[in-house]
Amino acid sequence: MADHQTLGEVLSSRGISRRVFLKYASYTASLMALPPAASTAIAQGLAKARRQSVIWLSFQECTGCTESITRAHSPSLEDLIFDFISLDYHHTLQSVSGHAAEQARKAAMEENAGNYIVVVDGSVPVKDNGIYSTIAGMTNLQMLEETTSNALAVISVGSCAAFGGIPYANPNPTGAVPISEIVTDKPVINIPGCPPIPEAMTGTISYFLSFGAVPELDHLGRPTAFFGETIHDRCYRRPFYERGMFAKSFDDQGARKGWCLYEVGCKGPVTYNACATLKWNAGVSFPIQSGHGCLGCSEPEFWDRGGFYKPISTGIGDATRLIGGAAVAGAAVGATSAAMMRHRKKKAMQEG
Amino acid sequence: MGLLDFARGPALQIALAVLVFGVIWRLVLLLLLPRLKDLTPARRGTRSAFMAGMREIVHRLWPDKTYARRTMFSLINGYIFHIGLALIVFGYAPHILFIEDLIGLSWPALPSNVINAIGVITVGSLFAALGRRIINPVQRIISTFDDYFSWLVTILPVLTGLIAVSHLGARYETLLAIHILCVEAFLIWLPFGKLMHAFLVFVTRGQTGAHLSHRGVQT
Amino acid sequence: MKRDAQAPCMTGQTGMAHAVMNEIAAHLEKLAGRGEAASIDLRSLPMTDMDREQLEMVLGQGEVSAVIELAGLTEVRETAFSGVWWVRHMGQDEQVAYEEIAITRIPEILKTQLDDIDMASRRIQQVIESSGRNEFEKEASNG
Repeated sequence: MADHQTLGEVLSSRGISRRVFLKYASYTASLMALPPAASTAIAQGLAKARRQSVIWLSFQECTGCTESITRAHSPSLEDLIFDFISLDYHHTLQSVSGHAAEQARKAAMEENAGNYIVVVDGSVPVKDNGIYSTIAGMTNLQMLEETTSNALAVISVGSCAAFGGIPYANPNPTGAVPISEIVTDKPVINIPGCPPIPEAMTGTISYFLSFGAVPELDHLGRPTAFFGETIHDRCYRRPFYERGMFAKSFDDQGARKGWCLYEVGCKGPVTYNACATLKWNAGVSFPIQSGHGCLGCSEPEFWDRGGFYKPISTGIGDATRLIGGAAVAGAAVGATSAAMMRHRKKKAMQEG
Repeated sequence: MGLLDFARGPALQIALAVLVFGVIWRLVLLLLLPRLKDLTPARRGTRSAFMAGMREIVHRLWPDKTYARRTMFSLINGYIFHIGLALIVFGYAPHILFIEDLIGLSWPALPSNVINAIGVITVGSLFAALGRRIINPVQRIISTFDDYFSWLVTILPVLTGLIAVSHLGARYETLLAIHILCVEAFLIWLPFGKLMHAFLVFVTRGQTGAHLSHRGVQT
Repeated sequence: MKRDAQAPCMTGQTGMAHAVMNEIAAHLEKLAGRGEAASIDLRSLPMTDMDREQLEMVLGQGEVSAVIELAGLTEVRETAFSGVWWVRHMGQDEQVAYEEIAITRIPEILKTQLDDIDMASRRIQQVIESSGRNEFEKEASNG
């Protein structure tokens, strides 16, 4: 349960000085592209904050988002987020507890009414009354509506929660919808990605803790600190794109020289995320650096955009039948009109 | 569905269908029209009608010296933007990928910055053509909606392409979507206006060549 | 299969080191004149590894070097230029999480925080009281 002690008091009772807030704040300010001076404000905000009650709901998801956040690269520094929040419910991590976990959720909601954050990963199926995904006998839809009724804010983590993700892909058999379509009366922050970069999740939660406010969001509800620029804008292979030096296939000469991956389907120019700067696994690499084009995983409907290996200048879908039909129709109309004209001419000649 | 998904998806399919329908309709109709059969024999010593037609298509690429001086601006400027458009459409890597996705053929691309420069020259040339049309009193009088609209749907893809590549003015996915939609407008209009000359010029020049050669005219 | 995982533009020198030096110089002038501290976030700059090495080489090592053991190590050292400090925060597995050049009399992270001083002041009183009592009891039991 959330303490009534401030975070400063909690950590100092464990022998950790206030310096830790400065260190964590500098790191978070840098992640969110805030000026270094903002770290003081963040440090002060954090030290005075109370442990934030967080209820984590997992719906139609692959658990990649939970994996990503628990894999946050410098565990001791990122582990701090688990000191700053009180993770009162997470049914994957608590699955052994069974019904006791559900009771913990209800208790946290009551104790922190109006003050807890709901983090959701996975989309919610709504077809056939939402029967396609249930937890402890409740449909996801019921659980989401019940849990968010008294929440302070909702964070939709991962492309499934933010935009529908994998379950939403054609033909969407379960009627999956994004969280923002169901929760309309509370602030909803989208942190998409398949999975999202861990720092995007922890940085946003830290910002919320320090300032008690939602960070600046773009038109899709994504924090601009992490989703304000495209991969293309920060890609180190950009000079090759500008000059038209493209790899034509995986592992050809161009690919080995690290040329642009446009021709093998990179969606970098139309994908907003921080992969090119923050990268993955402690800044080790990101897809393009490892030789594979960007999948566009932080954008809506990225599964249905024509194919990961089709360049963005190509069309989506197969028009062969339609064009074939159009050709036949054109020939038919042309021939018919010509036949009519010939007939009319013949008549005129006969009469004249 | 976002604007870019629409432009790359349903809009493209419709545009291609309309293009194919329109072009085939007009060509089939034209070629099947009732013709007056010429019962006279051809002048002795002239080429076959087909060869005369082919020759004329090539021959009319350059005007006869009687008219050359008067038409020089339209001729040179015309070649500049026609060749420019061809180089851009068939020489820029993303365009080649687009065509390869449609018909399976591809070829080496030109350097992208060269294409950029050609794009700028082509826009200049197209504006010069419009300027000429408006300033020249005869052309101004005889110009119709078709002339101006065909010009507009031709220059918009080039302009929006340059803007997209320069990432100017809006988010890239919006610029790219607008560029693709402008190309689709061009494709849809093509069969129904003067842009159809892309196909008809071969028919008309060929026909003129065959007809005149039949009479033994030196062209 | 030979794989060139690092494209040339990722590892070569880009001239960023020189640009950063210029920024440091400007800040140092303000510090000298008006006592204004400033900070440059190295992580946010597009620096390659070679740029970073070049910068380190040029800035050099000064007299002060400190290590803070706090949620992973933090290294703070003054460079050969007084007032120009290099602060490197690391996570548990020695991965650099955050790095900055602080142009200041002393980096914030080295200063002891006031709240900690309050707590320490109370604690030291407790320790003195409890150790004092023990001495009394010992003397009382002895004498």
